[in-house]
Amino acid sequence: MSSIAQWIQDRIPVSPHVIREMSNEPVPYHMKHWWFALGGTPAYLFVVQIITGILLSFYYEASTGSAYASVQYITDQAAFGWYIRSVHKWAATLMIAAVVLHQMRVYFTGAYRRPREMSWMVGMALLLTTLGLGFTGYSLVFEQLSFWGATVGANMTDSVPVVGSLLKNMMLAGETYNPRTLSRFFILHAAVLPVTMVGLIILHIVIIRLQGVTEFWFKGEEPQNVGKGKFDFFPDHFYTELTLGLVLMILLSTLATIFPATMGPQADPLTTPEVIKPEWFFYVVFRWLKLFPGTFAILSTGFVIFTMFTWPFIDAQIRRRTRFQEASVWIGILGVLAIVALTLWEAFVAH
Amino acid sequence: MTLETKRWVIGGLGALFLVSLIMVQWLETARRAEEAGLRPASVSAPASSVACVDCHAQANPGIVDHWTGSSHAEKGVGCVECHTATAAEPDAYLHYGETIATVVTPLDCARCHVDEAAEFAASHHSKAGNILASLDNYLAETVEGSREDFNPHSPTPGRAFDMVNGNASAQSGCKQCHGGKVALQSTDGSVITVDDLQPDENGIPTNQAVLATIVKDDKGQPLYDPGTWPNTGIGRLNLDGSAGSCTACHSRHDFSPRRARQPENCGKCHLGPDHPQKEIFEESKHGIAYRDLKDDMNLDAVDWVLGVDYSAAPTCATCHMSGNMRNGGKVTHDPGERISWTNRPPVSVAMDTDANHAIVKSTDEDERRALTVDSWEDKRNRMKDVCSHCHSPNYVNGFYEQYDSFVQLYNEKFGKPGQAIVAALAEHGARTPTQFDEEIEWTWFYLWHHEGRRARHGASMMAPDYTHWHGMYEVAERFYMELIPQAREMADHRGGSAGAAVHRVINDILARPEHAWFEEGAAEQSERIRQEMERRYGQGSERRDGAE
Repeated sequence: MSSIAQWIQDRIPVSPHVIREMSNEPVPYHMKHWWFALGGTPAYLFVVQIITGILLSFYYEASTGSAYASVQYITDQAAFGWYIRSVHKWAATLMIAAVVLHQMRVYFTGAYRRPREMSWMVGMALLLTTLGLGFTGYSLVFEQLSFWGATVGANMTDSVPVVGSLLKNMMLAGETYNPRTLSRFFILHAAVLPVTMVGLIILHIVIIRLQGVTEFWFKGEEPQNVGKGKFDFFPDHFYTELTLGLVLMILLSTLATIFPATMGPQADPLTTPEVIKPEWFFYVVFRWLKLFPGTFAILSTGFVIFTMFTWPFIDAQIRRRTRFQEASVWIGILGVLAIVALTLWEAFVAH
Repeated sequence: MTLETKRWVIGGLGALFLVSLIMVQWLETARRAEEAGLRPASVSAPASSVACVDCHAQANPGIVDHWTGSSHAEKGVGCVECHTATAAEPDAYLHYGETIATVVTPLDCARCHVDEAAEFAASHHSKAGNILASLDNYLAETVEGSREDFNPHSPTPGRAFDMVNGNASAQSGCKQCHGGKVALQSTDGSVITVDDLQPDENGIPTNQAVLATIVKDDKGQPLYDPGTWPNTGIGRLNLDGSAGSCTACHSRHDFSPRRARQPENCGKCHLGPDHPQKEIFEESKHGIAYRDLKDDMNLDAVDWVLGVDYSAAPTCATCHMSGNMRNGGKVTHDPGERISWTNRPPVSVAMDTDANHAIVKSTDEDERRALTVDSWEDKRNRMKDVCSHCHSPNYVNGFYEQYDSFVQLYNEKFGKPGQAIVAALAEHGARTPTQFDEEIEWTWFYLWHHEGRRARHGASMMAPDYTHWHGMYEVAERFYMELIPQAREMADHRGGSAGAAVHRVINDILARPEHAWFEEGAAEQSERIRQEMERRYGQGSERRDGAE
C-alpha cells in the first residue's frame, strides 16, 4: 500500500475490501445489453444539469425586471454562456426522454412487481420531480411563452377541486403572477427539487441494492450458458455506463452547437400570445386539457398519475383475480401510443 | 408473452417514442428559430386566400413572395382579409367568388389597426393631399403642365399620340408623394371621385346614382382612371372618403416594419432640393452612426423600442414615430407629435395645435392659449425624451437653443422681410395676380421653398453643410443679389407713389442693423479679413485667391 493510501486508511478506517464489496455488486448478465443501462443515463444527465445549472446561476437573476436580460447576457455575452445554456436545455430534454425509456423498459418487463413496488413508486416520484424541474426551469427564462406557459399551468392547477386555489397560490406566491413568483420558481428549480431529486435517487439506488435488479435470461444467455450468470459492476458495468455517458456528451454538444438555445420575445403580461405552448413534455397534458372540460381533464390527469403510481398493486390484483396475465403489456402499448399521438398532435397543431 | 416478444415490444415502442421525440424537437427547434428571428416563419395561406395565393403565385409571384415573408402571413392574414369589400362599394367586384376591391385604404387597415389608423388620420401625413390647391400643384398643373389636355404640335415617330396629358407632371410627380384623388372612369368620359360619391363614415357612397355610370371591364371589374391609380401617395384621397395610404410607408405586400424603420423608406419623398431630410440625416452624426451601426439596430425587433431593443443610432422613425424607453414604448403614426417648429412655410411657425390638430395661427396670446390643445413645448418635450436616451439635458437644451436661434435668424432676417417685399409688390400693383409669370416669384419661391427649408431642416437635424452652404448662404445670395434688385426694378417700373411705397418697404428693411452692411458697406470688416489672409498666407494672397 502506498504511503498516501496508508495515510488515508489511517484517517478513514474503512477496509478497501468493504469498498470493493459495496461497489462490486454482481450484475445480472442481461445488463450487458446497453439498453438495460438506461437507468444510469438520467442520473448521468442529472449530474450534467447540476454542473451547468450552477454555472448558469452565477449569472441568472430571478427577478421579473432582470431575468430576461440576464438570460440574454448568458446567451450573447458570457464566455461559453450559450453553450452551457444550450447543454442545460438539451440535457433536460434527453433526461426526460431517458427517464421515459427507462420506465418503459421497467414496465414492459414487469420489473416493478413484488418485491420491487417501492422502487417503481420512487421512480414515479423521480419522473414527476423531473417534470417539475422542466416546468420551473422553462419559466425562469421569462420570455413570452414561458411566462404564459406558467400562467396557464397555474390556472390548470386552479381547476383542481377543493385544493386547487391553495395550490395555485402556493405556486405563484399570490393570486396571479407577481414579482415574487419568479424567485419562487427559481428556489424550486435550483434548490428544492434538485435536493428532492438527490434524496429520491439515493432511495432508488438503496432499494435496488437491497432487492437487486430483476434478472432476465434471453435465449442462449441462461446462467448455465454464461458462467455464474453475473458479472462485476466494476469495471464491466461501469464501463458500459461510462461509454453511454461519453456518447451522451457528444450528442449533447452536437445538439447544443447545431441547435443552440435561442431567446423568444420578453414576457409581456399585457399581451397574450396567439399560440401558448408549454415545453414539449407537457404537450400530452396540454392536448388532453384542450380535448376535455377543465375539471374533468385535471381530475382524469390526476387519476392517470395515481394509477401509474400504484400500478404494481393494480397489476398484481389483475394477475391474481383475472386470467389476463399480460394485461399490463397491452395497456402499456395503448398508453404509449396515446402519449405519442397526443404529443405529436399538439406539436403539429400548434404550428 | 415471452421475454423475446417483450423485447420487440420495448424496442418498437422505444423507437416510436424516439422518432416522435425527434419530430417534436425538429418542430420545436424550428419554432424557436422563427421566434428568435433566425429563420423566416413557416406560413400557410388561410383557407379564404388559398385560391388567390395559388393563382397569383403563377401570375404575380412577386406579390405572393412578399406576402409570404410578411407578419400578415405569419399571423394568418391573407389576401381576402385586406381586399375584402361589400358590393355597395364603388370599386368592388366579384373575383372568383370573393367580393374584393383593388385599392386597400386606411379604412380597410383600420379594421384591425384601429389606433394606428386614428393616429395617422390626425397627422399631417394624411393631409398631404391638400396640396391640390397649393402653389406646388399650380406649378405642376399649370406652369409645368396644362390645365387642359392639348394636341401634340408635331408627330412622335413610332408613336401615335393624339393628345398630351397636361396633368402628367402632377400625376407622376406631386401626387405620387402627396397622394391624389383616386378616380373611377365614368361612362360620360369624366371621372368619379370621392367628391361625386359622397361616402358615409363607413365608406359607402350616399350618392347611389353615380354608381350606374362606372365603367367596368368584361369581367365586371370597375376601371380606375389611370391618371389616379396606381398611387401610393401618403395623403391619397380614397373613394371611401378616407385620406391616406398605409402602403406609402408599409410597402405592400410584405408591410415590413423593418423597412418602415429605415430612412430610405422616408427618402422616397423627403429628399431633393426643397426638403432634403434624408440627405440632411445622412450628413448628420445620426446618419453616420446609422450607416456604420445598422447591423446593431435590431431592426427586426417586434416593438423596436429605443433604449430597450437598440440604442446604436437613430433613424427618422426613431425620433419622429417609434416608441422609446421614456414614453413606455408608445409608437405614434403622427410624426407631428414631436415637431416643435414647422419649417414648411416661408416663415417657420411654432407648432401649437388645436383640437383638430391644425396649427393655431392666432397672434393673440390669450386666444392662442385657449385654442391650443397640444403646445409646441409638449411636442418638444416628447422629442427631448427621445434625445435623452443618448444625450444629457444640457446637451439637448443647448442644441435647441442653437436651433431656435437659427430659425429666428432665418425668419427675421429673410423670411418675414421677403414675405413683406413680395406682398408689397402685390399690394401696390407692381406684380400681376398670376403666380410664376414674373422672375421675382421664382426667386422668392427658391428662397423659402428650397434654400430656406434646406437651411432650417439642416439646423433641425444637425447637418452643418445643409444649414450653411446649401442653406443660409444661398438664401442670402438669393435675397441680396436677386430678390432686392428685382423688387427695386419692379418698383421702378411701377413708378409713382405705388413704386415709392414698395421702395419704402425695401428701404425700411435694409435700414435694419442686420442688413446695414449691404447698403452702408462693411469695409472695416473686409480690411480685417484681408489683413488676416495676408498674415496667414503672405502678401497679396487675399487679392489672388478672392475672399478666401
